Amino acid sequence: MNRRATPDNPRTGRGRPGRIPLLIVAAIALAALVVPPLLPWTHSAIGWDAVRAPLFAPGHLLGTDTVGRDLLARTLVGTRVTLAVALAAALVALIIGTAWGAIAGWCGGRIDEAMMRIVDGLYALPFMFVVILLMVVFGRSIVLVFIGIGAVEWLTMARVVRGQVIALKERPFVTAAEAAGASPVRILTGHILPNVAGVALAYLLLTVPQVVMVESFLSFLGLGVQEPLTSLGILVKEGADDMDLQPHALLIPGGVLVLVIVCLTIAGERLRDRLAR
Amino acid sequence: MSVYTVDGLHVRIDGELVVEDVGFAVGAGECVALAGASGSGKSQSCLAPFGLSPGIPAGSARLGKTELIGADPATLRQIRGKDVGFVFQHPLTALTPHLTIGAQLSEAWRQGGAPPPSRSDMIAALDRVGLDEPENRLDQFPHRLSGGQRQRALIGMAIAHRPKLLIADEPVSALDASLRAEIMALLDTLRREDGLALLLVSHDLAAIGRHADRLVMLRGGRVEESGPAARHLAAPTSAYGRELVAATPRLTDPPPDLAETGAPLLLAENVHVSFPRPGWRRGRIEAVSGASLTVHEGEALALVGGSGSGKSTLARAIARLGPLDRGQVCWREETLPERKRMLPRYRRLIQPVFQDPAASLDPQWQVSDIIAEPLRHLRPGLGKGDRAELVGATLQEVDLPAEFADRLPRALSGGQSQRVAIARALVSEPEMLVLDEATSALDVLVAGRVLDLLERLRQKRNLALLFITHDLAVARRLCHRIAVMEAGEIVEEGPAQRIIATPAHRATQKLVTASGV
Repeated sequence: MNRRATPDNPRTGRGRPGRIPLLIVAAIALAALVVPPLLPWTHSAIGWDAVRAPLFAPGHLLGTDTVGRDLLARTLVGTRVTLAVALAAALVALIIGTAWGAIAGWCGGRIDEAMMRIVDGLYALPFMFVVILLMVVFGRSIVLVFIGIGAVEWLTMARVVRGQVIALKERPFVTAAEAAGASPVRILTGHILPNVAGVALAYLLLTVPQVVMVESFLSFLGLGVQEPLTSLGILVKEGADDMDLQPHALLIPGGVLVLVIVCLTIAGERLRDRLAR
Repeated sequence: MSVYTVDGLHVRIDGELVVEDVGFAVGAGECVALAGASGSGKSQSCLAPFGLSPGIPAGSARLGKTELIGADPATLRQIRGKDVGFVFQHPLTALTPHLTIGAQLSEAWRQGGAPPPSRSDMIAALDRVGLDEPENRLDQFPHRLSGGQRQRALIGMAIAHRPKLLIADEPVSALDASLRAEIMALLDTLRREDGLALLLVSHDLAAIGRHADRLVMLRGGRVEESGPAARHLAAPTSAYGRELVAATPRLTDPPPDLAETGAPLLLAENVHVSFPRPGWRRGRIEAVSGASLTVHEGEALALVGGSGSGKSTLARAIARLGPLDRGQVCWREETLPERKRMLPRYRRLIQPVFQDPAASLDPQWQVSDIIAEPLRHLRPGLGKGDRAELVGATLQEVDLPAEFADRLPRALSGGQSQRVAIARALVSEPEMLVLDEATSALDVLVAGRVLDLLERLRQKRNLALLFITHDLAVARRLCHRIAVMEAGEIVEEGPAQRIIATPAHRATQKLVTASGV
């Protein structure tokens, strides 16, 4: 009776920060790292004797594709590539975004205005258009994909961090640090950034699935990772081309993609909500 | 015939007993006060029977003839809407921001099943609670009203449906001294005119003494004393009651014995501070206009004024922790440099302590690191061992055990946090502390102990104190002189006893009256 989730009553409030979703993602990542070298096939080994092998075929647990490449190996390597690109891009976004947002929020005034207008400007650019343009001018490469994604994903991080820094700047403990003779750099690195870290981490967790999605989308369009390297987006595309004969070639990489995105999003949102409390 | 009777009330939260065997009765036109330190169960005792807290009540609480405990939520809701009004502590958050005052008043009016009020009814209701321009207020949103005006509007809503019982949970704690007196006077008037029974929750014994008929003093959820308020405040029967009464500063206390003061230490002359207007509007708002102050060695100077009078802004400007447009701050004949050029040797002289103890400590830092921070920057010559030794000594000086050194701020209570903040201010051996409402956020008993600590430190270290407060009684307990601020100017200044006995300026008179002499 009369039980409500009040701030004073955290026990009836929201739950723990998504431990199960994180474990699922960790298990997938671990499998993608450890299993491929143990398989008798590499992701690019073509086997003309076993084209379009069905599920549970001898030697090919998940069957093979239209040129006889082992789908288990391809799915695991694709997951590995997708996660690696996503993590790297998210880390770049974290570093640039945190630095940019922290400096803008801390300095305030005209510097803040100028820096945030640049962010607004970049937000307004049609992202896909820019990536395609870059591809046309410089040719296809995974580095360009990476730069394209990184250039966009840090913007949200910069806004979030700036807001946090502005709020923290007014807290008495920051004034006390000034009175204690700490230099602005010391205050920023010693008091403000550690207190932003939790929120930044939550947004990092939320950025990773976004990048996974963007990378898969680009690869699906044929703009991302190039053969013989593979990614979940490429696998989904190939599976979609062959789905009337072998639906599992689409469903398995697609399922992994969905699972990774959903789990990371849940974990990130739980963490964010917990910190916002 | 009592309106509301509580008998043998127990309240549990998550299985833990927070209120144990509490009983009292409130008659029509009567005011019963629940007093006690924070965590004594006073709010739980009055909210839990109405289903307004996570606590689970047991025992008996009767409103008229209706038993509240065990009643189903629908009945409780009906009772809350019809027979009881509530006023809470935070007027700033208790109003819905996107609805006009009129819409919220109309909702309060109808909740007991009454027909919707006419506009003239609502104007009369707002007029009754002393809200100025009631006609215009009806169409205004809450953010247009000041704290005192919002609390008046809330009281108007609480009594709109003509309840028999009004429950006021710390109704004035968030307001400044002169507003407190006005709101309490309003509650008294309503009680007299409507025969409203008032259940007042407060930690302010001075206010209880002035307004309440009877007093129930709680400690750890149990009744410690209960009876006529005046008698129990004059001569408490329990040790706890005596402690509470002693910790409450009153203007009628005998004057404190303060040591002599020395030569002028800090001289602030003609200080002006202004801020840009919010939003897109041009121009600036003057927060402090031409204030001058002198603080002597070993002297405690109180800076008193209502909220928004500019006292914190002035203190920050003096301590070089805030903006300063014009004016000079001299320290023993030497002019202090501007904020960005405050070298360690200047910073060391003046150290601040803030109002909110939880927010003044970095939640990620250990207590020992928090206290050592000024040493690291202001006395860079010290070795690691010397620093640790000084931190330990300072912890001891503020009466905290040595094992607090490796705690994080979240493991500290409000009073302990404030002691850590004082230790941080003291460790660099400053000659002056700037205390911005340093005891206002603390509980009576804790605040009393912190005041005693400050007085002891002042004498031992010959510290000068600039003590910002809105409470004259606190100022008088600690300070030699009082400077009264209003609208950015210092309107009166003089020895504490003189200011309180014969206030010359209107603002000072208002503050003195509000403190109830």
